[in-house]
Amino acid sequence: MKKVFLLLIMALIVGACDDGFEELNVNPTKSAQIASANKLTALEKYISSERYDNWRAGMIYQSTMMQHIATTAGYWSGDKYTWNRGYASSLLDRYYGNAIKTAQDLIVQLDEEESPEEMKAIARILRVFAFSRITDLHGDVPYSEAGKAVIDGIFLPKYDKQSDIYADMLKELEESAAALSSGTSEFGAADVIYGGDQAKWKRLANSLMLRLGLRLIKVDAAASQAWATKAIAGGVMTSNEDIFFLKHDQDNRNGISEVFDADGNPRMSDTFINFLKDGNDPRLPILAARRSDGSTEVADLIGFPNGLDSALLLELTGEENTDNYAEPNRAILAGFDAPMIFQTYAEVEFMLAEANVRWGLAGDAETHYNNGVTAAMKQLALFSDAAIIEDDAIATYLTDNPYDAANAIEQISTQYWAATFLNEYETFSNWRRTGFPVLTPVNYPGNETGGTIPRRLTYSESEASVNAENYAAAVAAQGPDVLTTRVWWDVQ
Amino acid sequence: MNKKFLSFLTVILLLFFQGVTGQTKSVSGIVTDDTGSPLPGVNVVEKGTSNGTSTDFDGNYVISVDANATLVFSSLGYKSKEVSVNGKSTINTSISEDASELDEVVVTALGIRKETKALGYSLTEVGGEEIATIKTPNAINSLQGKIAGVNISQNSTGAAGSSRVIIRGSSSLSGENQPLYVVDGIPINNANNGAASMWGGSDGGDGISSLNPDDIESISVLKGGAASALYGSRAAGGVIIVTTKSGKDQQGFGVEVSSQVTFDQVNTSLQDYQTDYGQGIRGETPANQAGALEAGFSSWGPKFDGSLVPQFDGVSRPYSYTGNNIDKFYRTGSTFINTVALTNASENLTYRLSASDLNNEDILPNAGLNRKSFSLNASSVMSEKLTSSVNVKYIIEKVQNRARLSDSPGNANFSAGLLPGNLDVTTLLPATDENGLERQFTDNTFVTNPYFSAYNFRRKDQRNRIIASTSLRYEFTDWLSLTGRIGIDNDIIRRTEVEPFGTGFKPRGGISDSERRTNQVDADIILAADKDITDKFAISALVGANTNHLKSENLFLGGNDFIVPGLEDIGNTVSQSRSREYSERKIGSLYGSIELSYDRWAYVTFTGRNDWFSTLSFPGKTTPNDDFYPSINGSLIISDALELPNFISFLKLRGGYSEVAGGAQNPYALGLTYGIFGVPLQGQPTGAINGGTVPNANLVAFSKNETEIGLDLRMFNNRLSFDLAYYKNNTTNDIVDVATSPYSGYGGASANLGEVSNKGFEFLVSGTPIRTDNFSWNVSINGAYNESLVVATDDVDSDVNLDEPRTQNVRITHRVGERYGTIIGVSYERDANGVIKYDIDADGVPRAVEGERKILGEGVAPLTMGFTNTFTYKNLSLNILIDGKFGGQIFSGTNTILYGNGLHKITTEGRETGLTVSGIDNATDQPFTTTVAPENLSTYWGEVNDIAEEFVEDSDYIKFRQLSLGYSLPKRALENVFLTNVNVSFIASNLFYISRSIDNIDPESAYTVGNSQGLEYFGVPASRNYGMSINLKF
Repeated sequence: MKKVFLLLIMALIVGACDDGFEELNVNPTKSAQIASANKLTALEKYISSERYDNWRAGMIYQSTMMQHIATTAGYWSGDKYTWNRGYASSLLDRYYGNAIKTAQDLIVQLDEEESPEEMKAIARILRVFAFSRITDLHGDVPYSEAGKAVIDGIFLPKYDKQSDIYADMLKELEESAAALSSGTSEFGAADVIYGGDQAKWKRLANSLMLRLGLRLIKVDAAASQAWATKAIAGGVMTSNEDIFFLKHDQDNRNGISEVFDADGNPRMSDTFINFLKDGNDPRLPILAARRSDGSTEVADLIGFPNGLDSALLLELTGEENTDNYAEPNRAILAGFDAPMIFQTYAEVEFMLAEANVRWGLAGDAETHYNNGVTAAMKQLALFSDAAIIEDDAIATYLTDNPYDAANAIEQISTQYWAATFLNEYETFSNWRRTGFPVLTPVNYPGNETGGTIPRRLTYSESEASVNAENYAAAVAAQGPDVLTTRVWWDVQ
Repeated sequence: MNKKFLSFLTVILLLFFQGVTGQTKSVSGIVTDDTGSPLPGVNVVEKGTSNGTSTDFDGNYVISVDANATLVFSSLGYKSKEVSVNGKSTINTSISEDASELDEVVVTALGIRKETKALGYSLTEVGGEEIATIKTPNAINSLQGKIAGVNISQNSTGAAGSSRVIIRGSSSLSGENQPLYVVDGIPINNANNGAASMWGGSDGGDGISSLNPDDIESISVLKGGAASALYGSRAAGGVIIVTTKSGKDQQGFGVEVSSQVTFDQVNTSLQDYQTDYGQGIRGETPANQAGALEAGFSSWGPKFDGSLVPQFDGVSRPYSYTGNNIDKFYRTGSTFINTVALTNASENLTYRLSASDLNNEDILPNAGLNRKSFSLNASSVMSEKLTSSVNVKYIIEKVQNRARLSDSPGNANFSAGLLPGNLDVTTLLPATDENGLERQFTDNTFVTNPYFSAYNFRRKDQRNRIIASTSLRYEFTDWLSLTGRIGIDNDIIRRTEVEPFGTGFKPRGGISDSERRTNQVDADIILAADKDITDKFAISALVGANTNHLKSENLFLGGNDFIVPGLEDIGNTVSQSRSREYSERKIGSLYGSIELSYDRWAYVTFTGRNDWFSTLSFPGKTTPNDDFYPSINGSLIISDALELPNFISFLKLRGGYSEVAGGAQNPYALGLTYGIFGVPLQGQPTGAINGGTVPNANLVAFSKNETEIGLDLRMFNNRLSFDLAYYKNNTTNDIVDVATSPYSGYGGASANLGEVSNKGFEFLVSGTPIRTDNFSWNVSINGAYNESLVVATDDVDSDVNLDEPRTQNVRITHRVGERYGTIIGVSYERDANGVIKYDIDADGVPRAVEGERKILGEGVAPLTMGFTNTFTYKNLSLNILIDGKFGGQIFSGTNTILYGNGLHKITTEGRETGLTVSGIDNATDQPFTTTVAPENLSTYWGEVNDIAEEFVEDSDYIKFRQLSLGYSLPKRALENVFLTNVNVSFIASNLFYISRSIDNIDPESAYTVGNSQGLEYFGVPASRNYGMSINLKF
């Protein structure tokens, strides 16, 4: 009897041993799914990214290589063409885990929910933008299999050839543009870039198509012309209202502003300051200020040479410190709520000018040049009311610096270079594509490139061991994983 | 608090004097063994009362008893004896050895006390006095070097840091591998509350450190699966059972007071930097302040010449060596541990109440720890059949400024340890300028002025913890009982961290406030039977059920950019964030055990336990959420079964097989989830996939089986004994994070694919080479060798990547076919003959070619040893512990940075005339020899810097770990005072290394206690500790 009693007790306990365990193992602070709109907002934040990669890939490497910025600080590797692998791969290390992963997940959800095509188009455009930054900076990269560890179980994605990536990105843009019409997408206000405005997205798709099309100029001029033609026909940005940028705030800070906040080392490169001074450019006192006292008097704004440490500076100039040089004007540029700009109407106008020069497309190069310069000056108002440039100042500038048909490509490209200050990803790509402005490389002792400006940044160090096979294949196809290897479209 | 403590003491003293009541007769005498040798430590008790004493070293005792009382003399291993007083005032007596009681009784799984002879597995019990002789802020560290097979790493995390305790090797690739701690029958939470990583951070302390060393009665280490199988899934890392003092060994009322003070000094003898060349770049001193700021740590200046050279603050100072900065920066630390305990034991009620205060000032300026603990253990006999006990511990722990480790931001160890020889660290004082901003000494803002880090950064945590349990035991008959036990471990950690306004790398500063609440409830119900079937056969069996419920909640507030400088409050920040994390898991279990014994020389025990895991439960899941864990073990006392030669006092063979291990540690890992970000963007809610690991809905429990055999041999009347064990264990289905490319969007993927094996042996040889009336020498040597092997990681044998240091050129990795936690890093590229290849650049500087990542070492030392000597002369006792670890390696981040900055001794070669380098020219594959010009040495060594192979060295050491010299006042001297025992000890620990392979750093200076052992990067430097302790008993 006693045994039976015990067995009964045990049976009761057994029944209770995992009672309620399934419910208990559901995380009460997380959800099994969220609205696609919430993910879109996250994706738009992720493409602007953080201080981490904006500092390393954006400012430390590209802004200095492009001679917008210069500094004596040794860890600013791009100023002296030295190699810090962690810095060089910082965009990859942030974008894949955030922007790419979120874009892939969002697109799957939109498919599953059979959301309207225009919503998918918006997500696909953002995905193309993110991938274009990645591939332009690094060359062959995981594309077709990237960010799909959950979706397709791909833990070790292969590296796609940049030529294949470009073909697909351009196709994506074409299809997305076609899917967009007018009116507001269902994302509505969750789309913090364009507020769901389909027409703006459509113009962005075509503007990005124009950008990516022109990238092909050295490797496949015919394709370049064809895509430019298609993009222009589809309708590109028409005003500064169309600028593709993210507005930041105190809680969602602009990553570049955070760099300026944390790092007192960057100075304005004398290459850039001299360009602005030579053109008597009204942007100079907006973009630059003297480090020591914040003065924006033109006479006080001295650019700093690239490739110097303080010993070399002393040797060269007798100058003991760098406080008398100009730095990015923190008062205007470094607010945490500063806009993060991805593509501007000004760039589009410059590209139209170029397309006209090269192929006679899109009307008249001079008009586009003038529109581009005007828009580039006007767009600074996005930063602050203190950055508004009056029309007559712009008119004066254009009078002093008129369109020069004889040197059109160089002139346009140089204006493009000036207009993309802080969007250094685009500066670096366009410079590699056009070769303008002509930048004099530095040759700092012990540099990594033999005194030439790097042509790409390198992959994450972990790839060589974790994703060894695919990494090896990419290196075999593209060339050594070093700063001097050229990406596919950057043929010599 | 000190006032409160004093009044507590007063109350205790008052109680004491009340407790001294009139007695009637004083009886004294001497107790000897059969040969007439005096026996120390014999208990002398007045029969039927709790009044008692014990004999001193000379066998003398004095006791006051009723004139008609009966005295009971008892001692472990001897037959007890009763003698009537009958009015005598001197009773000399002898007691004889009892072979059958030779064996001691130890605490085994579920708190069951067993004779060691019945154990079919290895179990080591350490008495509280071993823990309390030299007390450390984390009591578990006192076991280091003392138990074969228990590998303790304290690492360089500061006094309030956590410890890594690994028994018989790590068995899980991703699990935490530390043992389960069971305190007075209740599992306690030993979670690590934060660890440093490659990006810096600090060690947040662990759970076991809450225990007051003076409260510990004994620690039982259940090493193998057979010993711990009754704990099922939680026993994969072994089990450590802590029993706290209950007062039951006391007779009547008593008070114990113990005080210890130790002083800690940084051990500067470990570092051996060059002291001939100072701050500068390419052989030149800074020309001005900007040059000095830019040079920073760079010690590539010319040879010291005493000339005036500008430094970071614009002041020119003599360019000469200014002395050891480590010595100047760190202070003499101190640790005071004071405990008062009062105990009372009567027939029906026994209790012990203690209060303790531990106050530590770390060697790192402005850092320290205060821990107050209160403990009450009470047990009572409520009726003939019903007994109960209550254990309550309350711990208040405050930690000031846990040391920042690893990466440079905020890490004082980094900046103080790297200053060029001509910079005097004290010139960095004051830490702030006239505007209250950090005074920086380099243009790299991520290097922090060490004084700013120590005095202006703020990191405080306060822990309030209650560990309480109660049990009721009902005895149906003399062989059948039912025990119910429930315990709770409620732990609240409140933490504030401030990076102040004016911090170089964070100009407007930031603050975070968090509170972590952890609550664990554990309950058992056990029905036990213990019956002799015949006069030779006995059976002992139990069945039980257990439930374990763990909840954890973390509330976090973060603020960035102070608005009003100096007002360090979350409300005074420009932007704020907040979050809440929550996790909950349950394990339900049923278990049973049956032990059969024959004639007290043959024993066999079977156990079984089934655990159900909430962490493996998920709606719609098809794979099981439970697992069964059986074990069998047995022992044969050969010396009882057979006639053996006389010199063999005891011989036992034992063996066991077990299956243990467990489920997923973390809840919510089976399905993909999404989180909403704490702050919206432009008012729009924002959200994305939560976490960076690919979830796996079909995870099942992993399992670990272990076989062990052992031998216990004692000879020459126990003067020489051997305890040997061999084991082999194998973990399968281990839950691992399979390495994924970050380009897959995720950092890893969960899978049941891991397989690890460990095998090894443990030995303990102890003996008493000399034992005379006044002098004895006890010696013991323990050692353990564990060989681990990673058998599988996933279906394609990917590496499982653990941590990497900030240098990012080396990583702790589990690689199939290799040891657990292998150090894999960038190697030199070499030609077929092993000669290093170089690229020779335009300036003629050879640059070492970085080869592939290769296995450079193993982070966990496989061989550990301890060597203890105790010399006793009359009442004087000298104890020496020497321990060592062998066969492991460590990557030294410190040496890496020392090379790069020209502070390492090796970098002095060729500073004047150039360094001759030869090797293979990578371009031509031909040998070359060249001289690197002095100004290019920094480039040359800077290149070597990236090659981890250069910086992985053996972590072997032999350390003079502990020394204590104690004196107990003779009983005679205490006859007329109210004290019953007075002991004074001089103690010292970590005195010096007898041998050490690696230069400049402490071989025990890894910066984390996680699975990634073997990475060193600017932790708190090693210190030496000296002090004394006093123990008084009333």
